[in-house]
Amino acid sequence: MPVITVDSKDLETLSGIDRQKIIDNVSMIGAEVERVEEETIDIEFFPNRPDLYSVEGVSRAMKAFFGMSPGLKKYTINPPQIEITIKKEVKDVRPVLGCAVVRGLSFTSASIKSLMDLQEDLHWALGRGRKKVSIGVHDMTGITAPFTYTTESPDYAFVPLDHTEKMTMTEILEKHAKGVKFAHLVKDMTKYPIIKDANGNVLSFPPIINGTLTTVTESTKELFIDVTGTSKEVYTALNIVVAALAERGGIIEAVKIIDESANKKESETILPNLEPLVQIIAQEEIETHLGFKLSADEVIQSLAKMGFDATLISKNPAAFEVLIPAYRADILHKYDVIEDVAIGYGYANIPAKLPENYTAGKSNPLSVSRLAASEAMISLGYSQVMPFTLTSEKIHFENMRRPVTNDVTYVIHPISEDQTMIRTTILPGLLEILALNRHRELPQKIFEVGEVAVNAKNKQKIAAVSIHHAANFTEMSEVVDAFLRETKTEYEIKESDDPAFLPGRVADIYVGGKKVGVFGELHPGVLTAFELGYAVIGFEADMSLIF
Amino acid sequence: MTDYDLTNNEKKVLLALNELETAELKDIVEISDLNGDASMQAAFLLEEKGLAKVDEESFELYGLTEEGKEYAETGLPERQIIDSIDGETPLEDLRASFSPQLVGIATGWLLKKKWARIDDGVLIPSGSAPKGQDEDVLSDLYENSLENNTFDPVFELPAELASDKIISDLLKRKLLEKEEYTTRKIIITDQGKAYASEGIEITEEIAQITPELLKSGDWENKYYRPYKIQKPLKPMYGAKSHPYQRLIDQMRQIFLEMGFTEIKGDIIQSSFWNFDALFQPQDHPAREMQDTFHLDSRSENPDKYVDKIRAVHENGGETGSCGWGGRWSSEIAEKNVLRTHTTSVTVKYLADNPVGPVKAFCIDRAYRRETIDPTHTPEFEQLEGVVMDKDMSFADLLGCLKEFYHRMGFEEVRFRPGYFPYTEPSVEPEVWIDGLGWVELGGAGVFRKEVTTPLGITEPVLAWGLGVSRVAMLKLGLKDLRELYQSDIDWLRKSEIGKGI
Repeated sequence: MPVITVDSKDLETLSGIDRQKIIDNVSMIGAEVERVEEETIDIEFFPNRPDLYSVEGVSRAMKAFFGMSPGLKKYTINPPQIEITIKKEVKDVRPVLGCAVVRGLSFTSASIKSLMDLQEDLHWALGRGRKKVSIGVHDMTGITAPFTYTTESPDYAFVPLDHTEKMTMTEILEKHAKGVKFAHLVKDMTKYPIIKDANGNVLSFPPIINGTLTTVTESTKELFIDVTGTSKEVYTALNIVVAALAERGGIIEAVKIIDESANKKESETILPNLEPLVQIIAQEEIETHLGFKLSADEVIQSLAKMGFDATLISKNPAAFEVLIPAYRADILHKYDVIEDVAIGYGYANIPAKLPENYTAGKSNPLSVSRLAASEAMISLGYSQVMPFTLTSEKIHFENMRRPVTNDVTYVIHPISEDQTMIRTTILPGLLEILALNRHRELPQKIFEVGEVAVNAKNKQKIAAVSIHHAANFTEMSEVVDAFLRETKTEYEIKESDDPAFLPGRVADIYVGGKKVGVFGELHPGVLTAFELGYAVIGFEADMSLIF
Repeated sequence: MTDYDLTNNEKKVLLALNELETAELKDIVEISDLNGDASMQAAFLLEEKGLAKVDEESFELYGLTEEGKEYAETGLPERQIIDSIDGETPLEDLRASFSPQLVGIATGWLLKKKWARIDDGVLIPSGSAPKGQDEDVLSDLYENSLENNTFDPVFELPAELASDKIISDLLKRKLLEKEEYTTRKIIITDQGKAYASEGIEITEEIAQITPELLKSGDWENKYYRPYKIQKPLKPMYGAKSHPYQRLIDQMRQIFLEMGFTEIKGDIIQSSFWNFDALFQPQDHPAREMQDTFHLDSRSENPDKYVDKIRAVHENGGETGSCGWGGRWSSEIAEKNVLRTHTTSVTVKYLADNPVGPVKAFCIDRAYRRETIDPTHTPEFEQLEGVVMDKDMSFADLLGCLKEFYHRMGFEEVRFRPGYFPYTEPSVEPEVWIDGLGWVELGGAGVFRKEVTTPLGITEPVLAWGLGVSRVAMLKLGLKDLRELYQSDIDWLRKSEIGKGI
């Protein structure tokens, strides 16, 4: 989740709210203060609220929350002076484009950093690593409208950001830091998307890099913003960026976007579109969902604290028309608005209550059998352990001298070679625990009742091991006999050829004619593989056939 | 007079000493009728009380080695040589009549004892070869050994017979064998005598209750030797449940008491149940390879729900939501994963039991692709509770959470807004822990319509989850999560059953 570093002075100036008040309360709108430094505050916001990923966004939300500027924030948009055309060619590679102009800006190094951070966080949260959304901001000084969004072949060259020499687009993808990082996003394209001005100057090679010509500096006064991508999140991202700049005094100006491939009626769009979305919500729905009564005023005020405008449009039954800011990415359903009623009202003020419905509690049979088996084993002097279920072929088969079986579930991308598969038996994990406890006093007797995955299905098993200088087959026979007697299981034993055990000192356990387990003295080859220095005896059995 | 509170054994030893004044252990054993160990132990206890004194004396006993025995019979090599010659004799000749080794040994000692000198390979006797103390020692020990019929080192060497130097030379020549012995002499003190003179009465005392004692009725009016109740003990450790299991079972118990049904499910789940049914968008970062353990297998999507899940993701379906947009891939949903949360188990259970009231919980292992370190393990326990019924609300959820955390022993609970893709409203409960402040302990919310509607659920579902290992670290005072799974047996032995309860 994104952690936003906020310049606390900048935030105080912008919002007019004392920084301590913000630190103390910001978590009540859905955030966590991670760190407070002399000049900065690190705040973690949720992935559904990208509108808060900037000082400007935090300031706007806090001003509404503390009642200094409640309700829907309206931004004026001046009519378009600039046009950009989406060429047919680009429709197959990166079809969605949103643009805006913001004038009357004055940047400081802090506000440039905030803008750059916002871009990067939006690339993550809405853009999925620039795939769905990528944003370019451009100083307008050196470029001339109208602009074109088109494609170019890979050998087309321009001077990218942070460079002084021309590079071809292929070279950018191979050598430029950003090119290398994001090359995978354009690898299937034969021609690459590009935005140029009237004179053929390159603004941007989305989603990779801007041209150096439009670099934003502290002297930048006017910005052209392009947002390209593959989905409707492009427009949300554009709205978030322009609204943030407007919070800083920028004047938003629309851009006329002409889509060559659309039919005549739809070919012209004026962006950004900051018109609020509208939801009609009945008061009863709010009260039912949240579980307590609120007055209409309380609903309206709670929503105003969260930056919404709500008006009572009918009284009996009461219903509200709620205006949702165009920069909010998280309102998919009216329940998302109801949540904001709850947040605005304050979770602390909600009267918590207990459901009054009657239900009878019920244990799962697997827990019942685990508890009974554990009691039996503890009474026999065995202590419980809870090893990992992720293991490796080396531990699970090779160390155990057992052949690899075909009922194993492997993970595709293991983190380490120690965790490549889910166990199908428990014994190897117990032997690993003994190996970790070589320096501890003997005897050591441990067991586990736990789940393994056989053919991708869970199975409950029990296993136990005992290590000491005189551990022998007879001891384990007696333990198995006692365990099965305690669990009221009639069993037979038969000769076994399990290679994990010493031949002649191993037996298979049969219940109702079916093999359920094995016990005996672990093979010296197994003991040395686990680097154990004393005799070890053990057993393992399938619980489903015992209980 | 002083009451020395003597045990019967001490009394018996003191009585023996009173007779003997100074005694060796064996003498006491004879009189007291106690064995050696018991007598000695009692003697030491008497010494502690000032009634006796134990003097230790160590001394050395000697015997002849095989070689020493041989020389006692034939004479030391240097004696053999000097006795065999009349005047100057070349060593060459001697080597011919004696063995070269013997000549070798002899020449050194002949020179050292100044019985002869060697000039240009010729031995020149000095004319004087008096019998030395070393020879006296050999013959004395030889005679003693023959007399006592043993060549073991059991003989004392009288001090006047030989100097230390002579004995150490003989030991170095490996002709003598030495053993050191310690004997103890036990002497009664004046205090002891005074006490004994007043008369010591031995009353019968019982160490161990026996069947005979009980059957015979003799147990009445007996003296039962008291134990020193403050004596330091060797700790004893019994077999027990894992402390983490105990904590898990405590949570289990809370849910059962609150009327919940315990459910279980498979570790291996399809993405459909782990993500898609929970309205997790298919391009959500948590679904990617670096966060989730993907498997090389697939499960068929359930026909009953697949179209509805597609619709809800793409456009919200019948839920009134706008959905995530884009195209939902049935193929991505088929991919199996190791469950990243137990919510996959609870949501499946709700789909199978879509009519309330349902209260269910699940405490089981979940898997995330985390590198192992003190606070992360790729597998960990998760707790999950759901309540489904008509009229359930967010306020009921907060009530359930408060009740649950209170029963867990966390008295102060507060709620912060949270975010999970499948709940709305979402909440992060925090509990107050002294020394740490407010600690976030899980997440909760009301299931979104986008989750419930496609599964045919019409009633509100309250859900909460908790990372159990986090609570375990707090309650068991652990610094490293691995300790739960790769446990130190010493820690298991020593961790108290009462801890964390």
